[in-house]
Amino acid sequence: MSFKPFARLLLLGSVPLAAACGGGEAEKPAAAPATQAPAAAPAASAGSASIAGKVSFDGAVPAAEKVKLSADPKCAEMHKGGLERQTVHVKDGGLADVLVYVKSGANGSYPAPAEDVLLDQHGCDYTPHMVAMVAGQKLKIRNSDDTLHNIHPRPQINAEFNVGQPRKGMESEKSFDKAEMLIPVGCDVHPWMRAYITVLSNPFFAVTGEDGTFTIKGLPAGEYEVEAVHGKLGKDKAVAGKITVKDGEAAKLDLTLKG
Amino acid sequence: MSVHSGADPRPQAQGPSRSFDRWRHRFSVLMVGATLFLIFAGGLVTSTGSGLAVPDWPLSYGMLMPPMVGGIFYEHGHRMVATGVGFLTLVFAFWTARRETRPGVRRLAWAALGIVIAQGVLGGITVRFFLPPAVSIAHACLAQTFFCVLIALSYGLSREWLGAPATNSDTTGVRGAALAATLVVWLQLLVGATMRHLHAGLAIPDFPLAFGQLVPSFTSTAIAVHFGHRVGAVLVLACLLRLLVAAQRSRDRSLARMGVLALGLALVQVALGAATILTAKAVVPTTFHVATGAAVLGTCWLTTLRAWRRLRPGPAMTRPVASVAGAASTA
Ligand SMILES: [Cu+2]
Repeated sequence: MSFKPFARLLLLGSVPLAAACGGGEAEKPAAAPATQAPAAAPAASAGSASIAGKVSFDGAVPAAEKVKLSADPKCAEMHKGGLERQTVHVKDGGLADVLVYVKSGANGSYPAPAEDVLLDQHGCDYTPHMVAMVAGQKLKIRNSDDTLHNIHPRPQINAEFNVGQPRKGMESEKSFDKAEMLIPVGCDVHPWMRAYITVLSNPFFAVTGEDGTFTIKGLPAGEYEVEAVHGKLGKDKAVAGKITVKDGEAAKLDLTLKG
Repeated sequence: MSVHSGADPRPQAQGPSRSFDRWRHRFSVLMVGATLFLIFAGGLVTSTGSGLAVPDWPLSYGMLMPPMVGGIFYEHGHRMVATGVGFLTLVFAFWTARRETRPGVRRLAWAALGIVIAQGVLGGITVRFFLPPAVSIAHACLAQTFFCVLIALSYGLSREWLGAPATNSDTTGVRGAALAATLVVWLQLLVGATMRHLHAGLAIPDFPLAFGQLVPSFTSTAIAVHFGHRVGAVLVLACLLRLLVAAQRSRDRSLARMGVLALGLALVQVALGAATILTAKAVVPTTFHVATGAAVLGTCWLTTLRAWRRLRPGPAMTRPVASVAGAASTA
């Protein structure tokens, strides 16, 4: 018995690997072509109407999750009394971190606003938990912690990225070219960290505050379908309402999300 | 195997190359152990979902040594153990190139070095491209193949391989049974890695039944792959049972022990697989399931090598040779 046959068998064993490996790259989604043409798009005139209201929550609030901070002593130091994550945040019946946006009725081309949207990492958590922005707008990601984070959104339509911010005060600028609902963004160092980024095609949106209230400003007169969506509850639980606004009018719209 | 048809089938051991190299053999055994641990460490990365906790490669957050917090502990820890194994393989390849006179062994040692480098690059690709399943699966399977290469090298340096040539014939089919078991286990690992990296480990949530049935309806790829892995487990057990029976009947006590070890490990592996499902992929059973899978493959492969070394081809295989020998004796 010589060594050769065994060596050959082992080499044979790596053939399917080579095949599997070759197929790997083809699966990556091609880089999204830029659909935004800011220079050419005629800016739709900003209106003077607004929609304000409250998003209520109807259902049992899930128990808060206790976060295992021991994985990173720096995070544990920032939360001496421990950290509990409540992804469904209800106060006086109002649900926080709900994106309320014009789903249909805003027919125009809206260039990305010049100002950046900030996603901050602070206390080993994200601020805010619901980020909303217009396609093509700049997203500034900041690390305000004395520990490292990686920022890893998992979009379905836009291009995926994963960047590291090892030092406090670091900032990165990113953007998403295409409209996409609820892109989960997380940190693989601290698996409890979770936020959602929604990329919209118009600037008519607001995110509810602690008490569930919101105000969408600068709407032109018209008839709109307005939808409320919460990251944790997901797209399936989104609720929409129809509303007509006139110039200068402050309309009222209350919505209820069911748990 | 026409080489064996002569009166003295084996060339005599020639020169110092055939003498036992104690330290190089020990070093190779260390490499086998280190690689099993490396497979465990790599399994931990996937089990804890830390594969992207370090977004860059080959550096980690631009550093050689990032703080080992959270998911970085698993991902960077895996990179460190892998670097260690790579370094051992480098040392071994050069050591073997200097000391070894068998060209096959020298070539296999260089191949091991090539594989460990390719494996590192695959790891880098999977990080850079956010864990595409095909690359992760290839990374997992190449790890197991590397493990087998090291076992072959180590056995090639052992006293048993270098010792007296085989005199007993394989009358019970141990050689074939061991080889078949190795191939089936390797394929089972391929299916297992596919299931793991398609996140199909819980596609069938119950065990031993599948959705309360013996055979579920294949409504998704995930269910099909998951069920394939369960069918694979049954095939592996059947192969190992056949190997055990053949090894016991062969009256070769070493091979009989290998057969018991292989089947025993496979039973542990089935229990770990069940635990993986019933605990909804808890980190500990899931990762031990990966490492034990490697151990089953390694045991089958070593049994194959030993059977082919310790036993001459059995009656079925040597029939033409025997008739030639018979003709020669009557002449
Ligand atoms: Cu983090």
